[in-house]
Amino acid sequence: MHFRLHLLIAFLAGGTITFSPARGAEPGAVLPEKNRAFLKEHCHSCHNAEKQKGKFQIDDLPYHITDNRNAERWQKVLNALNSGEMPPEEEKQPAAEAKADFLDDLAQVMVAARRNLGDSKGVITMRRLNQREYGNTLRELLGVTVAANELPSDTNASGFDTAGTNLFMSGDQFEQYLALGREAVAEAFERHDKAAFVKKERFEAEKGLIERVSKSLKKRIEYRLAYNKWARAVDKAVARPENHAAVAEIRKDLKGHFFYHAWDKIKGAPSPVAYGFTDAVHASHEGSDGTWNRNVPYQSWFVAQPENVTGGWLTVGDNAVNSYFSFSIHGWPAGEYVVRLRVAASEKVTPERCFIEFGMGGGNPFKHDSTHMVTGTLAEPQIIEIPVTLSAKGLRTFFVRERGTHDDDNQPNLKQNGGIAENGIGLDFSVWVDWAEVERLPATASPPGMNTLATVLGDANSRIPPEELGNALETFCQEAFRGQQPSPAFLKGLVTGYEDRRKQGENHRQALTETLALTLSSPRFLYLSEPTGDEKGNLNARELATRLSYFLWSAPPDQELRDLAASEALLKPEVLTAQTNRLLDDPRSSDFLRPFLHQWLRMDRLDFFRFNNTLYPDFDISTKEAARMEVYESFAHLLRHNQSLSHLLKADYVLVNGLLAEYYKLPGVKGDHFQVVKLPPDSPRGGLLGMAAIHGMGSNGEHTSPIERGAWVLRKLLNDPPPPAPANVPQLTRLEDKLLTTRERLLMHQEQPQCASCHRKIDPIGFGLENFDAVGQWRAEDHYERPGLGRKTWPIEAAGAFYKGPAFKDYQELREVIHDRSEDFARGFSKALIEYALGRAFGFRDEALVEKMVPSSQTQAPNPRTVIQTLIQSEEFHTK
Amino acid sequence: MIKRRHFLRSSTTTLALPFLESAGFRRFASAAAPATPAKRMIFIAMGYGVTQETWFPDIKQTGPDFTLPAGLAPLARHRADITIVQGLSNRYSEDAHSGSTFWLTGANPHENGAAFHNGISVDQVAAAAFGKETRFSSLQLNGSDKDLSGPGHGSGLSLSWDNRGKPIGGQNSPLAAFHRLFSAENVSTEQLQLRLAQKRSMLDTVREEASDLQRGLAKSDLDKLDEYFQGLREIEERLAKDEQWQAVPKPKSPIQPPPEGVTGKEEIQIMYDLMVAALQTDSTRVLTYRLPIANLLSSLGVKVAAHDMSHYSPGERMEASQKRDAANTELLAGLLDKLKAVPEADGTRLFDHTTVVFGSNLSHVHNLTNCPTLITGGGSGIKLGHHLVVAKDTPLCNAWLTLLQGSGLEVERHGDSSGVIKELIA
Repeated sequence: MHFRLHLLIAFLAGGTITFSPARGAEPGAVLPEKNRAFLKEHCHSCHNAEKQKGKFQIDDLPYHITDNRNAERWQKVLNALNSGEMPPEEEKQPAAEAKADFLDDLAQVMVAARRNLGDSKGVITMRRLNQREYGNTLRELLGVTVAANELPSDTNASGFDTAGTNLFMSGDQFEQYLALGREAVAEAFERHDKAAFVKKERFEAEKGLIERVSKSLKKRIEYRLAYNKWARAVDKAVARPENHAAVAEIRKDLKGHFFYHAWDKIKGAPSPVAYGFTDAVHASHEGSDGTWNRNVPYQSWFVAQPENVTGGWLTVGDNAVNSYFSFSIHGWPAGEYVVRLRVAASEKVTPERCFIEFGMGGGNPFKHDSTHMVTGTLAEPQIIEIPVTLSAKGLRTFFVRERGTHDDDNQPNLKQNGGIAENGIGLDFSVWVDWAEVERLPATASPPGMNTLATVLGDANSRIPPEELGNALETFCQEAFRGQQPSPAFLKGLVTGYEDRRKQGENHRQALTETLALTLSSPRFLYLSEPTGDEKGNLNARELATRLSYFLWSAPPDQELRDLAASEALLKPEVLTAQTNRLLDDPRSSDFLRPFLHQWLRMDRLDFFRFNNTLYPDFDISTKEAARMEVYESFAHLLRHNQSLSHLLKADYVLVNGLLAEYYKLPGVKGDHFQVVKLPPDSPRGGLLGMAAIHGMGSNGEHTSPIERGAWVLRKLLNDPPPPAPANVPQLTRLEDKLLTTRERLLMHQEQPQCASCHRKIDPIGFGLENFDAVGQWRAEDHYERPGLGRKTWPIEAAGAFYKGPAFKDYQELREVIHDRSEDFARGFSKALIEYALGRAFGFRDEALVEKMVPSSQTQAPNPRTVIQTLIQSEEFHTK
Repeated sequence: MIKRRHFLRSSTTTLALPFLESAGFRRFASAAAPATPAKRMIFIAMGYGVTQETWFPDIKQTGPDFTLPAGLAPLARHRADITIVQGLSNRYSEDAHSGSTFWLTGANPHENGAAFHNGISVDQVAAAAFGKETRFSSLQLNGSDKDLSGPGHGSGLSLSWDNRGKPIGGQNSPLAAFHRLFSAENVSTEQLQLRLAQKRSMLDTVREEASDLQRGLAKSDLDKLDEYFQGLREIEERLAKDEQWQAVPKPKSPIQPPPEGVTGKEEIQIMYDLMVAALQTDSTRVLTYRLPIANLLSSLGVKVAAHDMSHYSPGERMEASQKRDAANTELLAGLLDKLKAVPEADGTRLFDHTTVVFGSNLSHVHNLTNCPTLITGGGSGIKLGHHLVVAKDTPLCNAWLTLLQGSGLEVERHGDSSGVIKELIA
């Protein structure tokens, strides 16, 4: 009742809330009255009280859907129409447009009805920490990095990974928590014991390099000479008259150097083994022109480079000359490290090649952790510093490679072939490495969890009196449980368990590790419980602090927040505002921003497909990661500078680093950090619709998908999500295998009213974005090719119109129309934020909160900080 | 490399399998050898549906005389042993991207207005009975797709859902499954006893903490916390199994450990070998397997993405869908070869006592009616070698009920079943 009043007041106060079922924004799920005529004409004659054909009555169905029984009945109507089952073939069929309109309304109402009926009525279910939060919580508590991604994935199709109802627990998972807990404690002990371990080592890139390549080159030359000798000896035998028949027979099948594979069928021909080969295949591989031409000139060229005496050029291709530089620090403990690379870029190659990938673990695909722009020159090399956190279990070998050369097995050959085609030798060298240096940094501060254990850490053989252990464990629990007190029975159980283990022969550290691992698998650690006895469900200050920090950091409250909770000062609005700002300004807020954006915008689609690197060599993994970061960084920029959310729909600037600027052809951007770059006036970039990541998500790695893009715009930018794709829609039978443009192919979707009801809204938007190819580069034309059918090329026609809405003549105008709906965008953002922050589905009761977060009276869409502040100050955020 | 090649070679042809009895597998694996061979069940889910045009037999050719369509052609040598049922569906299913979530449960996702609800899956009904005598009540296997619970299979941790409708986790790689089944730990009975006691005491400790946490919680929170208690109970049941089985070492695997990181077609083949090995050693009698989709396509050299494939229409996507059907059918035929090659103590074959179901809740493209259902094996007294078309809207759960009863279980209903399918019974 209360919210209705509120809405009414907002309405009377001059708000412009519109109640339209098509927007799914009204509290009740009501099928508009105008549909009665449709039902009457096509359904009532058979499905009325008397006839009830198929034991189904329609004329008594209430238009306001308020219960499950009637929702099921309406669902049946929707299904029967979608599947084409009703009206029966022999009956009069509705006009396509009328049917599409009816289906549109009913589908939208069903979405609203399901949401209302499944509404949690604002109740927030207690939940366990999700995978990310679990990892972050251990990081904050013990200063460790564990492989939390070994836990089952928490992401699901229908909501955020913070939604309690979707976060399950199982026996298997409990065992995983125990194992990860053990791992975490063991690493924390290692870091503690080695806190003062400081070490630095330098690795010279030229070490053994020339020797290695020279040796390979020498071997190749030896093989070539031996092969030539062998081949001449075989030729001699071939010339013998008695072999003529056999030779003619062999030549039918085996051409060129393959001929020599059949040496043993030629009388008097010597075995290749006598010439140092294992067999004929080996001989012809090593001695063939192909192998020689591919390797010897390139290796000779490499060996001749004077820079390889003092460092090493990184190479490309399958020659394994120096296609990566690696160095290892086996046996070094977990901790914080810095890796320094002294590098230079060649001035002879194009700038997009002057980037290196850095990471741990080799192979293809080369899983790199970061990509770095190389701006140093041979005259003045630069030193790149990379901070690295090493876990106890993690790898200890580092790799440096030229970017985009090891995404898969295909890529190095493709690139090298390009080089050979150009100069006959191979790709020119682009990046030179002088040396790498690894340094372990001393620990600066002891993490809070470890501080509570200071008196009982001891060593393997320590004997700790039970009371002392109990006291330490109690403070550890309070820290781990975010200020909650463990039950006495639990504490007692921990101490007894420890004592038993000692009696059974475990040493102190082993028994303590097990005890702490159990604590980290206990419910007060794993669950974000808010057991308030308050009837209204108001959170107490401690619970509020926890909710706040898990919202904005995905991590536990720090000491400052805990102190403010203990004194209850946090309950004061101005203190809460200040803390919200502090948390948002802390680097840890990226643990909220990135996963939130990733899930909200469905950026997982960026990883659904592998981008075809033959078609799109520039959109390699490094570019893809930079494109992903652009989305995050653009949002962070708005948050940092309190800019309107509308900038995500159109902006005259982009947030790019050197790599992405190169991809977007924006000159003069140096470095790996994301920076604001002003755009030329005619640029299609600026805002989400100008970003490569967004268009990559709307493709399958090869072709664009206007449907994905159109639906995404409706869902994410316009807050007007189409209902889920209906099941059981009959297939288009007359779709033949023809050469059609994308538009022609998709327009067939709209032939059937079941499809048209949504596609008439989705497709025009997608077509409007067709100037962006599958990797977000601008194009003027597109093509389709099918073996046997041929190839068709057509110019992109982006012009179109929103369904019953404004027309646009090109992408720029489409962007304007979308930008004009910034308020809708801000509302969609707010809804997502509510779901994420509160860990429950958005309910119709929340519309009032959205109105507060995005007041319709404002002239401009609000900035994200204001929206977040409003949410945090709301009653919903303070109750459960 | 040599090891891997050796393994692969062994898995492409029929394995050289020892007699269940003579090699003493049963002696290792189960407490007492039953007089007649035990019943087993295997459920294999495709996720996305099949290519309608080339997978389903002609609707007019029912009974034993039907032409095997192209999509099922690789099963020709098993034609007399496979039955295809058309016309089955889960009436509550509405999510056209979830081929597995409700496949074995037939539950109403909106029961009592819930945002998401599920019920017990048919394999778990069987496991409750068949699982008493084996080391593992049932085993859940999953394909290695990165986003397995995404479109295709739908939400869930495997095909299986427990008796409260909660998802049951599974092994996501052949290697993980192998370790679970066959990796032996070198511990003495005393050590094991000690470990069991320690584990129980740990569980008691956290349980007390969970009980304490219950105070002041709202009902929905208590339900949530109940999952934690349930998790602890699961482990206890496992410990009880461990205790029961402690004197019995894990069986020696009849196959080599699988290589790490195999995906797609090769992965499925190895998983099938492991499934046969699991039954052969009587480690379990109930298995479910959620097949990989994306990885299978890549391993076939198909460039079309999984979801695009499911939306096939004539052309590239339909070819992709057909390639996938062919690969799945061929692999299934291989599994049947192996089940037929394993002899039981009484001279019959493992195949004769196993029920194998292959299918999906999704029919084709976005359709949820006429769920593709292929039943084979002699475990539940089904009429084999038939093409059966049941009345429209027959619940898929009627088939599950028929299999349960045919396997000797006294079950009256499952999911939304309305009775058994009489025509299916031999």
